[in-house]
Amino acid sequence: MTQLPKITFDRSWYEPFIKNIEQDGPWADWELYRLAYESEKQLSVPHFRGLVAPDHLPELQLLPHQRETAERVIEQMHGKAILADEVGLGKTIEAGLIMKEYMIRGLAKKILILVPASLVLQWAKELNEKFYIPAVPQRKSYVWEQCDVVISSIDTAKRSPHADIILEQNYDLIIIDEAHKLKNHKTKNYQFAQKLKKKFCLLLTATPIQNRLSELYYLVTLLKPGYLGDAESFFEDYRSGKNKVKNEEKLRELVNRVMVRNRRSETEMDWPKRHVQSIEIPLTPEERQLYDSLSRLKDTDFIQGFSLLTLQRETCSSREALYMTIKKMLEANQNSVFHETLAPIVENIQAVTTNSKAEKALELIQSINDKVIIFTEYRATQLYLQWFLKQKGITSVPFRGGFKRSKKDWMRTLFQNNAQVLIATEAGGEGINLQFCHHVINYDLPWNPMRIEQRIGRIHRLGQEHDVHIYNFATKDTIEEHILHLLYDKINLFENVIGELDEILTRLDLKDIDKEIADIFTHSESEGEIRIKMDNLASVIQAEGMGSEEGDELRETGSDT
Amino acid sequence: MNSVKQEAIHEYLFHYFKASGCDILEARPGFLKVKLTIELDKLLMNRPFYWHYVEKIGQTPETQTLILKTNPNEEEGEFVHFGSPRLHQIFASARELSPSIRLYEVQKGQTGQTALYPWLGLNAKISYCSDWKRDFILSLGLNLVSGMVVKSFQESLENMALTPKIPDYCYTLSPMIKPMSGLTRLERVIESIISEDDHTWAEEARKRWESDLSLLTQFYEDYAGEEELLETFEKEKQALQEQYEPNVKINIINGGLFYLGNHSIA
Repeated sequence: MTQLPKITFDRSWYEPFIKNIEQDGPWADWELYRLAYESEKQLSVPHFRGLVAPDHLPELQLLPHQRETAERVIEQMHGKAILADEVGLGKTIEAGLIMKEYMIRGLAKKILILVPASLVLQWAKELNEKFYIPAVPQRKSYVWEQCDVVISSIDTAKRSPHADIILEQNYDLIIIDEAHKLKNHKTKNYQFAQKLKKKFCLLLTATPIQNRLSELYYLVTLLKPGYLGDAESFFEDYRSGKNKVKNEEKLRELVNRVMVRNRRSETEMDWPKRHVQSIEIPLTPEERQLYDSLSRLKDTDFIQGFSLLTLQRETCSSREALYMTIKKMLEANQNSVFHETLAPIVENIQAVTTNSKAEKALELIQSINDKVIIFTEYRATQLYLQWFLKQKGITSVPFRGGFKRSKKDWMRTLFQNNAQVLIATEAGGEGINLQFCHHVINYDLPWNPMRIEQRIGRIHRLGQEHDVHIYNFATKDTIEEHILHLLYDKINLFENVIGELDEILTRLDLKDIDKEIADIFTHSESEGEIRIKMDNLASVIQAEGMGSEEGDELRETGSDT
Repeated sequence: MNSVKQEAIHEYLFHYFKASGCDILEARPGFLKVKLTIELDKLLMNRPFYWHYVEKIGQTPETQTLILKTNPNEEEGEFVHFGSPRLHQIFASARELSPSIRLYEVQKGQTGQTALYPWLGLNAKISYCSDWKRDFILSLGLNLVSGMVVKSFQESLENMALTPKIPDYCYTLSPMIKPMSGLTRLERVIESIISEDDHTWAEEARKRWESDLSLLTQFYEDYAGEEELLETFEKEKQALQEQYEPNVKINIINGGLFYLGNHSIA
């Protein structure tokens, strides 16, 4: 005989009813009474299994893997899971869907969402607009108690007086975005997350944590303490040597029960194509003279190494960018020999009358005859281009990472409705969505390929319905061309799918790749040496990229269903 | 977009505003424009300061006009669908506006004096909760004279002609069972209906709970003696209980007294 579950009656309705009988009313209208009954029938969920949330979200286009993930988390993982999809597959959508399902079913009411500070508003926007979840960004300390769904940065949440208030709230669901930042169990952030009561809990991470045994252990232990046993015996069982994993099969099976990791290759998604075109731009004689005159600075005592590289890169962008830096240098250093050394360069700057890249950009924009985003590294170039395009009768708006959110949104709207070109100095990682545009000009190339990814990622993402065209500008016979050919072309950077590169660089511990490149340029004696070193770097990245599938030691092959 | 559902929502909205006494300014399939009553303005428009102000200075209030569309292609209006907060707000207000009722059945072709029997009607939502949840609705009627209990009471009522005032030539029998004890009786009925149900779900939830709990306990045993962790351990245990503990919750949607003819309910 099965044990009967506890039965609880909510009797709050009784007293007012009895009172109505005694006082002879007020009684309800029959039509409204029926409608109330009808609406409760509509709202009740007759099955334990399956999702009802999609019925409530008719405007949300869900992908099959997102729906499956939500189902799996609720039905098989019982609401405690690590969502570790590859970048770009919509972890936020999955989390929102799970949250919505629990809210509709009445299993979660009080919800805390901890995200990096820069993402708080974006989360709020997505939850409100896509999921009709009234999530509130934390601004005042009373919000914790008064609002049911609160979004905050973990740095705010863990501080007094917030921490104490939060720990007293009875949360039904806790969501932590970018949870890989909690890998170190000795940090305050981890300990704070540990103290939270986790009835249902979602940890979101984009970084593949499978290969890092200790990160994996502490993240899972945060989610379900004891699930992987105590640290000592866990590492005894699964670590061999310093960094290798043993008993993989068993570990994979264990981990698969608490983690979902969707891969692009396994999802039925139609990514828009990227069409990449590298455009080599010959310098005018004046520009060439300016560029070469910089190289001669190598032989002076004043400007060498990294600063020289900077000047050279600026020259490749615009004389204005170079001039701003030179001007600052001259103001900072009153030494007359220094001024004399730079004098010919200033003269050469003045001799330059046309900007070959700008001319090329103009030609391209006119032939595209559609919205175009131009990315440049330099403010001075941005200003120049705005002026230049205006002379040629082309409307443009500027965009900078430093703009306030409202200004960003305004510029986006202007671009969408009133201008042909957006000139941006920064990709600005936080979701400004520019999917209505399908053409990107990389006016100059940053040295960190991740920044390129972010740039392209502004328009090449889920929901983009058109193919995306990317034009890479490189001035001929300059360091820019080196970067383009020796590195980016080799690693197929531009064709790469979103997120892949991120993972490769993380695995290689090469997040500071721009420093590596600068090193190669400054410390090489000859062109040949540069070439060899860049080649090596490219091969390492390429090899890791190709090997990534096999190398993923805890790759999910089976599922635990 | 499921157009059948959208039509049903339109119907619902139309009846809701009409029943609440609002002026329907314009109604066509997929589109509804209504002038709210003071009561509904307060319930739906979320402007407490306006009402506070108006009432304080004794000004004649101006209620708002609400334009709703169930056809997304309509130009004007707020789009209402099954998931939209507006519909849920309206659902909640319908319940709030109609907690309890008293009605009399209109007797057809009657001759002479007719006796009406008192029934206690109760609409309840039953929820089976663990980390999963499912609900069903029970509508029960209890004859307060005979003690007879019927299911699907609400559905039976739908087919009757009912009126809030006692019809001519009718009189009501006085109840043998007081309403409060009637409610207690219905609770017993609900409990017995539940006890006859299949509760494998609860068994399974308990198993999941036990299994997670034993892992948790083992884990913290290894750290025994660390006072700080003891608190976390207690919290985790409590979290597991909240996550898995099977329980059945009963919520009253609405209910009332219904005076019905002798053979109205078979």
